[in-house]
Amino acid sequence: MLMVLSLLQGGFMRFDKFLQPEDLKTALEILKNDSNSVILGGTTFLRISDKKYSTGIDLSNLGFNFIKETKDYIEIGAYTSLRTIETNSTINKYFGNLITKSLENLIGIQFRNSATIGGAIFGRLGFTEINTALLVLDCELEFEENGIVSFSDFISNWSIKRDILKKIIIKKQKGKGSYKMMRNSSADFAILSVAVSNYNGIKIAVGTRPTIAKLSVKAAQFINSDNNKIDEAANMIADEIKFGKDLRAESKYRKMIAPILVKRALQEVL
Amino acid sequence: MKLKLNINNKFYNTNIDGDEYLLDILRKIGFKSVKKGCDTGTCGVCSVLIKGKPTLSCQFLAARAQNVKIITVEGLGKKADKIVDLIVSEGADQCGYCGPSLVLTTYAMKKELKNPTVEKINHYLAGNLCRCSGYEGQLRGIKKYMGVK
Repeated sequence: MLMVLSLLQGGFMRFDKFLQPEDLKTALEILKNDSNSVILGGTTFLRISDKKYSTGIDLSNLGFNFIKETKDYIEIGAYTSLRTIETNSTINKYFGNLITKSLENLIGIQFRNSATIGGAIFGRLGFTEINTALLVLDCELEFEENGIVSFSDFISNWSIKRDILKKIIIKKQKGKGSYKMMRNSSADFAILSVAVSNYNGIKIAVGTRPTIAKLSVKAAQFINSDNNKIDEAANMIADEIKFGKDLRAESKYRKMIAPILVKRALQEVL
Repeated sequence: MKLKLNINNKFYNTNIDGDEYLLDILRKIGFKSVKKGCDTGTCGVCSVLIKGKPTLSCQFLAARAQNVKIITVEGLGKKADKIVDLIVSEGADQCGYCGPSLVLTTYAMKKELKNPTVEKINHYLAGNLCRCSGYEGQLRGIKKYMGVK
């Protein structure tokens, strides 16, 4: 898993200076003025990158470790650990098992106690299953400089590269969500992940393919036009979404199992 | 940079580089129960309790450990003995490399799980790899500790 990645890459992240700015304004100035600086999240994946930075910016003491419920939204601070989110009763009250299921098999509890939601999102990492789940929710991100940006816009392009993610905002909605995945062993990265929701029309997301999660357009439009055509919509996914290969699975294998996972998820939601 | 660490309720002053990880600092200070295994967040043998939660010390920047309560297996004292005795009584302790982290994580699990089951125990311990026991003997001892049949 991570060990293999690290050995392939040949080393660990290093940085010359460790800074803990007292506020976000200062942190953003450092980030903007020093192109070789980096915001430190849970340092789980960042650590195994073979890069040397000039400055590591730590914001873990600035109060971004929280889960708040407002009248219409759930807000999650960027420094909240994946394990905290996984076990939070408020989140599970509104989104069923969607978010929990996307987190609970990532390596082990110790890893998820360190890894942060901000790091998982900002890195646009292909293997982070939480991104698959968030795509089918009404989800926005709040940045220090760019303000509020839709989650799907953020992960589908790389226009925001040097900013500070403050929190994740998820709209509370009535409906159902379903998360399905396949992995070679229980604590490995997933070969493929699928999330489906019907919070505001039916949304289908496919992730860990092995690249970043993507929303379906064609299959989603099709199933929204006729909720009875689950088989047809599921089969459309194989041609609509691009699948790649890595050491866990070939693209052909991913292409074959995607319709099966989508079908199961649609059956749970519809 | 200078760092003051609270390890097992005792304070230690040390000097670190900003990009050093807690695992290496703990071992330099002398806490050799904290093992260096994969060093990439996969095997779990470097686990310590940080604010009571099992955490991989190989992934935790030492600079973030200032004013944070760290517990290693040495800090559990007799609480660890009970878990160790139950695992050993099942013939499950072989090379012992994963033992300290398994004991720490089991201790945290007992505090965290309200209604433990075999399935919940297996899930909780999924991040603790053991390359020689095959897990069954360990699980028998841990089930006894957790009060699960």
